[in-house]
Amino acid sequence: MNDKPTTCGFCSCGCALYVEPRKSGLGISGLCPSTTHPVSTGRLCIKGWNATTSLIRVDRLQTPLVRKGNELQPASWEEALSVTADVLKRVISTSGSEAVGVIGSAKTTNEECYSLVKFARAVLRTPNIDGACRFYDASLIPALIDTIGIPASQIGVEQLAEAGSMLIAGANVMEQLAHIGSRIQDAVENGCKVVAVDPRKSRLAPQAGLFLHPKPGSDLTWVRALLKTILDRKLYVDAAPQMPGFEELRASLDDVVIGVLPQVCGIEPEAVVEAATILAENEPCVVMFGLGVLQQQDSTILVKALANVALLLGGYVMPLRGQNNAQGACDMGVLKDYLPGYEPISSVETRAKWESAWQCAINPQAGLSAIEMVQGGVKALLVFGENVALSAPNTEQTISALEKLDFLAVSDLYLTETAQLADVVFPACSFLEKDGTFTNIGRRVQRVRRVIDPIGESKSDLEVIVGLASAFGKEMATDPSAVMKEIAATVPLYANFSYEQFETGWGEPWRASTPTPRLAPIHATDLPPEEPDYPYQLLASRINFHTQTGTMSARCGILTREYPESVVEINPSDAEKLKLRPGRVVRVSSKTGSLTRRLAVSDAVPQGCVHVPHYFGGDSANMLAGYECDSISGVPVYKGLPVKIEAVS
Amino acid sequence: MNVGDKLILKKNNVSDFFYSLQEQMQLIAPKQRFAGDVVFDLVNSPDEIVWEYGHDIYPPGKRYLFPHYEDMFSYRQGEQIAIDVAADVPRQAIVGIRSCDVTAVRFQERFFSSPIVDPFYKTRSDNTVLFSLVCNEPPKKDCFCICCDAGPYLESGFDVQLTDLGDRFLYEIGSEKGLDVSEPREKYLEASTEQDIAERKRIELHADSLFQTASYIAKAIIYITSDEVPDEVWEELGSTCFRCAACTNLCPICTCYTVDDRPEPDGSFTRCRSWDSCQYAGFTREASGHNPRPTFGSRVKRRFYHKASFQYIMRDGRHGCVGCGRCVSSCLTKLDLPSVVKRIRRAMHDYIEPISKPTAFLE
Repeated sequence: MNDKPTTCGFCSCGCALYVEPRKSGLGISGLCPSTTHPVSTGRLCIKGWNATTSLIRVDRLQTPLVRKGNELQPASWEEALSVTADVLKRVISTSGSEAVGVIGSAKTTNEECYSLVKFARAVLRTPNIDGACRFYDASLIPALIDTIGIPASQIGVEQLAEAGSMLIAGANVMEQLAHIGSRIQDAVENGCKVVAVDPRKSRLAPQAGLFLHPKPGSDLTWVRALLKTILDRKLYVDAAPQMPGFEELRASLDDVVIGVLPQVCGIEPEAVVEAATILAENEPCVVMFGLGVLQQQDSTILVKALANVALLLGGYVMPLRGQNNAQGACDMGVLKDYLPGYEPISSVETRAKWESAWQCAINPQAGLSAIEMVQGGVKALLVFGENVALSAPNTEQTISALEKLDFLAVSDLYLTETAQLADVVFPACSFLEKDGTFTNIGRRVQRVRRVIDPIGESKSDLEVIVGLASAFGKEMATDPSAVMKEIAATVPLYANFSYEQFETGWGEPWRASTPTPRLAPIHATDLPPEEPDYPYQLLASRINFHTQTGTMSARCGILTREYPESVVEINPSDAEKLKLRPGRVVRVSSKTGSLTRRLAVSDAVPQGCVHVPHYFGGDSANMLAGYECDSISGVPVYKGLPVKIEAVS
Repeated sequence: MNVGDKLILKKNNVSDFFYSLQEQMQLIAPKQRFAGDVVFDLVNSPDEIVWEYGHDIYPPGKRYLFPHYEDMFSYRQGEQIAIDVAADVPRQAIVGIRSCDVTAVRFQERFFSSPIVDPFYKTRSDNTVLFSLVCNEPPKKDCFCICCDAGPYLESGFDVQLTDLGDRFLYEIGSEKGLDVSEPREKYLEASTEQDIAERKRIELHADSLFQTASYIAKAIIYITSDEVPDEVWEELGSTCFRCAACTNLCPICTCYTVDDRPEPDGSFTRCRSWDSCQYAGFTREASGHNPRPTFGSRVKRRFYHKASFQYIMRDGRHGCVGCGRCVSSCLTKLDLPSVVKRIRRAMHDYIEPISKPTAFLE
């Protein structure tokens, strides 16, 4: 077994594990978690135990592919890189650098993310660089910068067991992030009171002292009522009234009418009072929220409202991000509106700093978001490690827009649905085959170590980026430790990190210098209009067994055996009303798309809702979403969509 | 020199003894890893052995005799089917293995040899010598071997058993295999004194008195065998499971595996067996889609039936737990054997309806 552990790449918890490569051929012969690592503590989840095998398979991309005629054909690295560079140069010279777009991953290392941003902004000089987070959780960035001051969790996984109370909204956390789920159980055993909020009865139920089931789309109404209750009953901490924004928040809640809760949310006013009391009386309170909150019409405002709850009660915020380097990718500036370290692109001083660091002129224009890019907002698109054909909304239109691009290059492990549409495909290395760092959900920056040789001719994204930069005549660092040195020198949040330090322990959480918390006013927004033709509302949840679009987990034997086929779940009374029996194949459609699945009934799903667990072994719930986005963050609305359900004859 | 001899291996001879053994076979022993982790691994030199290591979460007996992923044979498709049986099984000594793990190895040896001999397991087990190390005190608070007749020291079952007596090890020979590796190294061994045996006795009694975790498995055996545990209790337990299967993966007794044929880059296929778990829905789902154990609770029940019901005790010669405590330390919730046994005992006395009725979460 390798002497050095690496960091698991299947979720944001970031466990440390030792992996033993097979003596010959592909595969591993064993693995085990670290006992001294603060998150894994000798434990792994089902993905940690099994999914590693999905990375080392014979169907991994072995060589670069270049489209010739209608077919992707094996090519040399030299050819793949020069074809890509030539097209990019041509597009830039004819249509300007704004015609080029770059989408980064939340799974690649910090060093790769940073280098990608540098390549896009300093070499290609395009403003269009954005990350996979735009499809998932980018709404937390503006919301948390404006409230708690840092767009990240305020505490680590290892501290959760000490929470006095928790507010957990819109997250299937027990399934998606097992180590956090486990800490929630530990906390409950220590006396922590959990207030869970989810339209559906999730596996949090046995832990929840109070479980509220609001109607989808009505979250802002109950959170405003919760805030109003905390203010009216003076349940906040002594320091709260001195916090900037306190009076504005109070004023913004003047129009809250608690009496509408039963009608709008399906929640009794007493339940909101009970929630407020539980959270105020059991310190410290931790406010957690997942994609159920982050992918709504007004998700940025909603996140601000939830952050206000934590601030008023003197608690902590922990956004439940899913991908292994969701935090690090954003820290490194794989975002359309920020440079690394959340320094806004709109600021002249910021641009001046980075122009001098990178010795280039930075395009000051506001860039396109990943959603705008996949709709065809650019002519040439580079996608690193994100299967946008499945993770973007409006699948049918997105795929046709990707097909119409002048040029698409994709770097990934496998020939994903996105890679199949590409003109050039770069075979990427998995996290087992490269060095680097990931930043976990608790901001802990930790080492990823190469434990096996790259498969076939695959290369890390860092090598691909450096190769492309050199085709443009620019030198960039190839050694991950040198890249980290540059990050430490330029990104203040990462100033204390070096590879030497990572050799002595499990890394550290990054610390912001002095975040100034501020309460945000929370005004009411319009409820989404009812759609009589689509009388049901979509609930989509993450599942235990699979991660992201299934590029990795759907290739793991045990995981696909556990979850071979996704279903559609509805309440038994709706099934009766619709005269649909469980097992029947049904079609769920929205204005933009439809999917067919087998029907299951469950009491856990409320009446009037359709629950589709996320699994991409086939069609996905994202097909049902349009391009409507949260207006502030540009994250698509995937939750609470109006749908209808019918039998397929 | 005979089986049953109690000798002395002085600590200043330990290094030479194992250097000499290393000429004959590879040494697997507790080894320092990153940031304080200690894991059993191949050691390059006996000086790397961490003697005071506590306990390894990765059961060495299971890992080196029944690996997580094991190649069985490879074949090519086509007209001429050629089968190559994997033959890479080195001679090895597992040095420093704990009593619980030795007991578990003997359990697995029995399982894998009756009624049909599993050639893969047998080859590895024939090539392996176990140097077990007595726990002078329970290595961690989760240990409960004392309740399972599997430690902290052994009366039999070891090839060689070492007890740390300070400047020396008491060196007990427990089998022919143990004798075979001891005889050529006679020069490093000497006779023990009455004082050494008395010191050993003192250590035993002291270790016995230090256990913090108790598991009254005898009662659970009765309740489980007679099927008296209410299904609600199993469902309540199952409702907290994270389905990681660490409990069975890291259980040194659990033997279940699955096989799959893995395509190789050269066009051949390798039949590989890998640990499987009764805690997975797919473990028992039938081709029709029907699953005789459809809920988490039913699968937890299954696991404990296999650990503690009389039918298995009759077949396997003992109950299926050695008290190593790995299900305690590796579980993301509290579905370890002592906690479940405690819950069962409580249920038999005063089954209290849980506050929220557990939902029987299907697959």
